[in-house]
Amino acid sequence: MTYQPRPIAGVRKLVPMSGALALALSFALSPAMAQSYSEAPMLADQVAAGNLSPLDQRLPATPLVVEPLESVGTYGGTWRQAMRGGSDNLLERTIGYTRLARWNREWTEVVPDVAESVSVNDDATEFTFTLREGHHWSDGEPFTSADIMFWYEDVLMNTDITPSVPSWLRSGDNPVVVSAPDEKTVVFTFSDPNALFLFNMATVRGSDILAGSPRHWLEEFHADHNADADAIAREAGAADWVQHFASKIQGPHARWRDEGRPVLDPWMLTEPYDGSGQVVAVRNPYYHKVDTDGQQLPYIDEVTYGVFEDRQAVILAAINGEIDFQNRHIETTDARPLIVQNRDQGNYDLWIAQPAWSNAMMIMLNQTHKDPVLREIFNNRDFRVGLSHAVNRQELNQIIHAGTSRPWQAAPRPDTALFNEELASQYTAFDLELANQHLDRVLPERDSEGFRLRPDGERLSFNINALTSRQFQIDSLELIKSYWAQVGVEMNVAPVERSLSETLRQNNDHDANVWIGGGGYDMLGLLDPKWYFPFEWQSSYASAWGIWVQNPNDPNAEEPDAAALRQLELYRQLQATPDLDGQLNLMREILAITQEEFRVIGTVMEPDRVGIVNRDLRNVPRSMPNTFFYMTPGPAAAEQFYYAN
Amino acid sequence: MLTYIARRILFMVPITLAISLVTFIIIQLPPGDFVTALSAQASENNEQIDPETLAALRERYGFDQPIIVQYWKWITNIVFHGDFGQSFEWNRPVSELIWDRLGLTLVVSLATLIFVWILAFPIGIYSAVRQYSWGDYIATFIGFIGLAVPNFLLALVLMYVTSRFMGANVGGLFSAEYANADWSWGRVGDLLNHLWVPVIVLGTGGTAALIRIMRANLLDELKKPYVELARARGLSETYLLLKYPVRVALNPFVSTLGWILPTLVSGAVVTAIVLSLPTTGPLLLNALFAQDMYLAGAFILLLSILTLIGTLVSDILLAWLDPRIRYE
Repeated sequence: MTYQPRPIAGVRKLVPMSGALALALSFALSPAMAQSYSEAPMLADQVAAGNLSPLDQRLPATPLVVEPLESVGTYGGTWRQAMRGGSDNLLERTIGYTRLARWNREWTEVVPDVAESVSVNDDATEFTFTLREGHHWSDGEPFTSADIMFWYEDVLMNTDITPSVPSWLRSGDNPVVVSAPDEKTVVFTFSDPNALFLFNMATVRGSDILAGSPRHWLEEFHADHNADADAIAREAGAADWVQHFASKIQGPHARWRDEGRPVLDPWMLTEPYDGSGQVVAVRNPYYHKVDTDGQQLPYIDEVTYGVFEDRQAVILAAINGEIDFQNRHIETTDARPLIVQNRDQGNYDLWIAQPAWSNAMMIMLNQTHKDPVLREIFNNRDFRVGLSHAVNRQELNQIIHAGTSRPWQAAPRPDTALFNEELASQYTAFDLELANQHLDRVLPERDSEGFRLRPDGERLSFNINALTSRQFQIDSLELIKSYWAQVGVEMNVAPVERSLSETLRQNNDHDANVWIGGGGYDMLGLLDPKWYFPFEWQSSYASAWGIWVQNPNDPNAEEPDAAALRQLELYRQLQATPDLDGQLNLMREILAITQEEFRVIGTVMEPDRVGIVNRDLRNVPRSMPNTFFYMTPGPAAAEQFYYAN
Repeated sequence: MLTYIARRILFMVPITLAISLVTFIIIQLPPGDFVTALSAQASENNEQIDPETLAALRERYGFDQPIIVQYWKWITNIVFHGDFGQSFEWNRPVSELIWDRLGLTLVVSLATLIFVWILAFPIGIYSAVRQYSWGDYIATFIGFIGLAVPNFLLALVLMYVTSRFMGANVGGLFSAEYANADWSWGRVGDLLNHLWVPVIVLGTGGTAALIRIMRANLLDELKKPYVELARARGLSETYLLLKYPVRVALNPFVSTLGWILPTLVSGAVVTAIVLSLPTTGPLLLNALFAQDMYLAGAFILLLSILTLIGTLVSDILLAWLDPRIRYE
């Protein structure tokens, strides 16, 4: 491989280690100097033809100055990618990663993006965003605080469109209050501290705000602003204006179905994602960023997305050199040899997509099972420790992951601030004798075939559900089934379709299931703690407890035990702690309890993946975190990618 | 004959209504609904949609109402307004989505049908007339391979080979430059340039099957006395062959012709997915996965009605072709 991965360190370690590097890589905010700006030839032509206003009228008074990763670039070219089916979120990750504030490239903090600056008060209850003077939507209309207020008043506070305010925009039981003291200022006020607010905004959740902001475009579909909104909705096939309006702004795909929608992104759609063919976006002439030489970004003229159905077809497109930069759909272990082998044919190099997952497959026995017998067995820590010792993780790594992984529990990855050696490695030794010792303490009796009996005399047998879309987990489970049979435990692998899996878990109706483990990186651990303690119904090792945290009145809810409640209390403190160090300290306390409880059996670490990058493409990081929470590759700042030839 | 047709058409009305009810129940059968699928999609990314939001979405889409109420709304909108509802996933009217893709689906299916018939009839007749000749053995050999190899596998192999050794991508029906273009001669040419792959892939299985059926049918007929008689009367071999035994051997084709109509819409889903064809098959499959119920429902209803029409057409054709058929 041409490039060595640069380890992406955790919050604590990266900042002191690479101060100079971080400075060179990060976006620099510089004051508006009396600088002359320049634009792409295709835009200059339009200005000359009188179809577009001149650049200084299009750029905000203080454009965001982006420090290119390697070098200042030149204009031109097309960035080709590939999507699958009708609900791919690639657009949201690539050309749609624009927020008031967003992740920096290193994933260590949140930096201003559309906002010129962000300030937070001491107890994290008030967040003030200062917008840029003279900022415009991609259709040339002004973008001001009134647009954000439209989102707040007519979208978020409209109970028809938003019946319940999402949890990241609430604190305590109260929704956020947004106000706009002047045209350039927006203030988000929470009744209680909401320390993770900016982090949440930088994830996929934050895209809702700007999606619901283009007032001049959305008003046509809103009954409070247009008496004909219902008629327009029915024309479009929707039941009423609410459904129609919501379909334009809510959900990860809503923003990509319309042509001519005003955006603040580097590129704007000319061929929408409507199922009729490839998706095309061209440069936004009003984009608010420039490089250090004053050239308006983006460098690349056009972005295209071929729409494929089958994953193999995407892989073929990649090795044919029809994809310029991508990791999605081509990063699986089985595709890797083909991708690596055809670098010359496809004229690409590889980059490392470091998964932010803690684990490739967590085994979660439902410790709040509706059957009291199974519940008691699964709740016995010795039972879980015994099963963990009975898993041959080295063999799993060799057979399933081609040796690219390593034994690992569901724990933060090495080189992160939250890394905990003991949590990561406990009970990972493959030792059948030790496993039998632990299991004998729980279920000493066996039947004639050597399988262990439950206290009621029946043979212990349970199902583990795995998603049909994750074949490698089904394969892993088949191996584990044979390991566990050696210690007398009968387990059955049950591949389930994802909607069924969803229904089972939401109703606490599963014996056990496997999932890919979150919380491998610090930011992810802070934002997505459900794998470390029961926090949501997705915490399927204790669904009933997770359901209780979300809604104690749910018929399937049960109050968690003392340890889980203590973890929840610590997390509530974390959410109210404004500084990162304090947050990390509290998270470490939570993890110490996770280690003690050992609710989840980890298998191996999710191995590094590779993505491809056209050999002529510049300013592309050769390694980046890979998760939907980081919006990979969003923070890599595609607006400053350029073609050398 | 006319009363027969009229009666058949009259019967189709209650059958269609019954089918629409069954259709609606079928698309409701899988656990959960579109909102569950949406939530499951978020879960796969380890994301989560708030339970309150899910409940609100259910209410907005009317999933919280009893099935019979939902059905009534759906069917009355179709019957009285021609409105198939909205696709939740695409935010577009269902009819628009289906019409978009139906045209290209027809092109692919008809091209395949013509390819199959042009190839299979002469080879089938030849195989029967020259039974156990070298030509027959070769046709039989290739025919059995065509029958045995699944279409999607053939598609994958063809794609890999062309990509690996010719450096060309054979997926889709258009090159990138023509994918969204308006119709022009250039676009038609581009379509023809891409069409051969799906036609070959989809056609091999059908060709092989048709060769075997034609051969078997014709072999039965060739031994019958009327052939002998025709020959004794001095008719030329080609004339008598086409005039009598081939015509009788055609019977099974005509009676299965009706099945072609629905396969025009749903046919070869897996192959279409592998080849990324912008046809209706992948849209239907995705709609089922996403539980996009009005889109899926419209498809299933359309397929059922096409099957009804197809059966009627083939019955009429059969009656016309074969004088032995009675209308009782």
